[in-house]
Amino acid sequence: MLAAEVTQDAADRIRAEAQRIMALGESSPRVARDPVNLPIIENWVEAIGDANPVYTDPEYAAASVHGGLVAPPAMAQVWTMPGQRRAGDGSDPMSQIVTVLEEVGYTSVVATNSDHVFHRYLRHGERLTLRVSLIDLIGPKRTALGEGWFFTTRNTWYSGDEAVATMDFRILKFRPAAAAGERASQPPAAQAAVPPGGFVMRPVISPDTRFFWHGMSAGELRIQHCGACGALRHPPGPMCPQCGSADPGYVRAAGRGTVFSYVVHHHPPVPGKQLPLVIALVELDEGVRLLAEMPGVAADQVRIGMPVQIEYLRVDDELTLPAWRPAEPAGDPGPAPAELPAMAVDVSATFVVASALATRDFTPVHHDRDLAVANGSKDIFVNILTDTGLVQRFVSQWAGPQALLRETKLRLGVPCYAGDTLTFSGQVAGHTVLAGADRYEVSVTGRCSLGDHIIASAVLDVPRSQS
Amino acid sequence: MTSGARTPAAAIAGIGATEFSKDSGRSELRLAVEAVRAALDDAGLRPADVRGLVTFTMDSNAEVAVARELGIGELTFFSQIGYGGGAACATVHQAAMAVATGAADVVVCYRALNERSGRRFGQVAVGAVTAPTSSGIDNGWHYPMGLSTPAATVAMAARRYMHVYGATSADFGTVAVADRKHAAANPNAWFYGQPITLAEHQASRWIAEPLRLLDCCQESDGAVAIVVTSLDRARDLRADPAVILAAAQGAGPDQFTMTSYYRDELTGLPEMGVVARQLWQHAGIGPAEIRTAVLYDHFTPYVLMQLEELGFCPRGEARHFIAGGGIELGGRLPVNTHGGQLGEAYIHGMNGIAEAVRQVRGTSVNQVAGDGPVLVTAGTGVPTSGLILGAA
Repeated sequence: MLAAEVTQDAADRIRAEAQRIMALGESSPRVARDPVNLPIIENWVEAIGDANPVYTDPEYAAASVHGGLVAPPAMAQVWTMPGQRRAGDGSDPMSQIVTVLEEVGYTSVVATNSDHVFHRYLRHGERLTLRVSLIDLIGPKRTALGEGWFFTTRNTWYSGDEAVATMDFRILKFRPAAAAGERASQPPAAQAAVPPGGFVMRPVISPDTRFFWHGMSAGELRIQHCGACGALRHPPGPMCPQCGSADPGYVRAAGRGTVFSYVVHHHPPVPGKQLPLVIALVELDEGVRLLAEMPGVAADQVRIGMPVQIEYLRVDDELTLPAWRPAEPAGDPGPAPAELPAMAVDVSATFVVASALATRDFTPVHHDRDLAVANGSKDIFVNILTDTGLVQRFVSQWAGPQALLRETKLRLGVPCYAGDTLTFSGQVAGHTVLAGADRYEVSVTGRCSLGDHIIASAVLDVPRSQS
Repeated sequence: MTSGARTPAAAIAGIGATEFSKDSGRSELRLAVEAVRAALDDAGLRPADVRGLVTFTMDSNAEVAVARELGIGELTFFSQIGYGGGAACATVHQAAMAVATGAADVVVCYRALNERSGRRFGQVAVGAVTAPTSSGIDNGWHYPMGLSTPAATVAMAARRYMHVYGATSADFGTVAVADRKHAAANPNAWFYGQPITLAEHQASRWIAEPLRLLDCCQESDGAVAIVVTSLDRARDLRADPAVILAAAQGAGPDQFTMTSYYRDELTGLPEMGVVARQLWQHAGIGPAEIRTAVLYDHFTPYVLMQLEELGFCPRGEARHFIAGGGIELGGRLPVNTHGGQLGEAYIHGMNGIAEAVRQVRGTSVNQVAGDGPVLVTAGTGVPTSGLILGAA
């Protein structure tokens, strides 16, 4: 009882402090050390591997939509990074909320999301200022890592009085599970937060099944595909029953199939579901079966053999469930979503260090292997500013040098350590026709040997003359 | 006997049970030890004679706890079988193997549960999807989508079976009517004196379409125990031995627990086919020689599929086989003469083994004439097991 009361007091205090910090609004500005300049840009594009000539080739840039050299939008944060020797004075909102959380034992940290909006491209000579505010805090949440609080800071970069880019940065501060006496081996989803609106049964996620659930969160249906013999399989597992290979990959299924059988559940109650509930076992066009609920369809409308297509029921950041709905009338299957050419990045130790330093991120876990290992990491690992840069590079390679990057949203997954290979895949998720340009929304996955390192989306405008 | 038949080495020498109720008012351990003691009394054995104990992984009573309460002393064999009701006949299979190998000469199989007053299997077991095990991961493909009760998992296969073979809800109801008819004459059955009509079945509410309330077994508190020993020793004991002519376990290809939805057909029970082939071969007989059968009936559709899987009728023909009283007393194959788990009690299939022993002894309240062998099956939709018992 006592422990629970103390926890309640602490939670109340954290919320009160968060309210106070949020009420302060934007912090005083941090001014960039240098104006936007070519040498820093050259370091960055070399480390990230972005060959877009609008950043470095004056003649090309002059003839481009920009009319001159510009800075890579994904560098926004680089300009105001504190640098190697500078420490903050603890007065900014991030430091304040971190201090509050650490005082009550939430000592560990992991970044979960980094979402950018780029209002315009920057030119050489502009000197940025950064203002930071705390925009939300939720908790305490039980997570795979331990109990913790999620908070988001909004970082806005100004050129003069003009806001040129923003980044919402979401962080989990947690009390490590072992320290709290919790079972660290508990699979991530099993302990995940209960969303508002009721209890949801969550799947246990294993290294063999993670790709499926990450795919769900990214809005794609992934079916296991044997890397050796090509056999498709669902539900997935670690070893191919056809050929014995332990080299599972996956393909994106089109998400269409026919009802193989179905159930209308009336009794007893099922946590998180409205009854009666239609649940359909569907044979996909690819030949495997997948079971999912069929919300919004009357029981007497369901038939074995009826065509259906997938939809994605988002529960929260950690869980999206598949669902079935009747297929659109036949004859209009719609265009298949365009695939972006895959991009593999050789994540050598040199890459990790060079990209961390080129993004002016001097956190030791990105360049000091001994210190990283001492902190419990396997090795040095890729930093988040580089991830944003790689997403920019990946989508720009597909969209062309004159495409304008408007937005990136990154959800951060497993770490990508030195020695690994980071492979990007992507798909066009949306297309809007604008005046003079086509706007594409692209979904991106960056995968390393441990699983999904980044699940991202990006918005790009491609000038019509080019497309 | 045909080639491949085996010489029986073990027999069931005793059966025991508690009363079957909805609220035993006692611990599951107490139910277990009452049933074991009753089975030993039936066999004319003492606790000190017991060297082995076998139960289900789902049973809450450890073998050593049961041994302690009974003063059994030393154990040389103990074993637990997984997969819910699929374990029922496998407990006897394990015991017979222990006897045949000399691991233990007297082995007692038991199952005790307060399934109505305690943990109810028909409710959604949230823990089944949070377990960090292969089974927990399997359940992750079904529970979060809302398919999370035994009835619903069976309903998925039943719907496909109806679609392919033209079976109807009334065909399922025919099984319930037969069970309840037999239970009505069994004073130990919960539904003693309470037969149902097909119209009552058809009027019962939906649980998980196409399953109605009266397609689903009851929820019961109670315990059953079975004493297994060598055939030679059993001949010298108090009760007539029920010889274990064959015992087998079976799991099918691409097997899941209740959700084997990813293999070619959804209209059979391949795991029961694995059991059936072994039973017929080892006993050296075929379906035509079975006098009466106890077929696991947690849900009625699987009784139809079992009749086909065991070879009593061709695939898709079970609805014709059961029509016109085909599985009732006096029919071509009387099934579940104790009333089954729909009529007598749901003791996870163990009460069906006890009924098969009574049929061999000639002591069933719904005795089927003759001295032919009796078939018993265990849980369906899961890795399972079966027995053929006969007179010495």
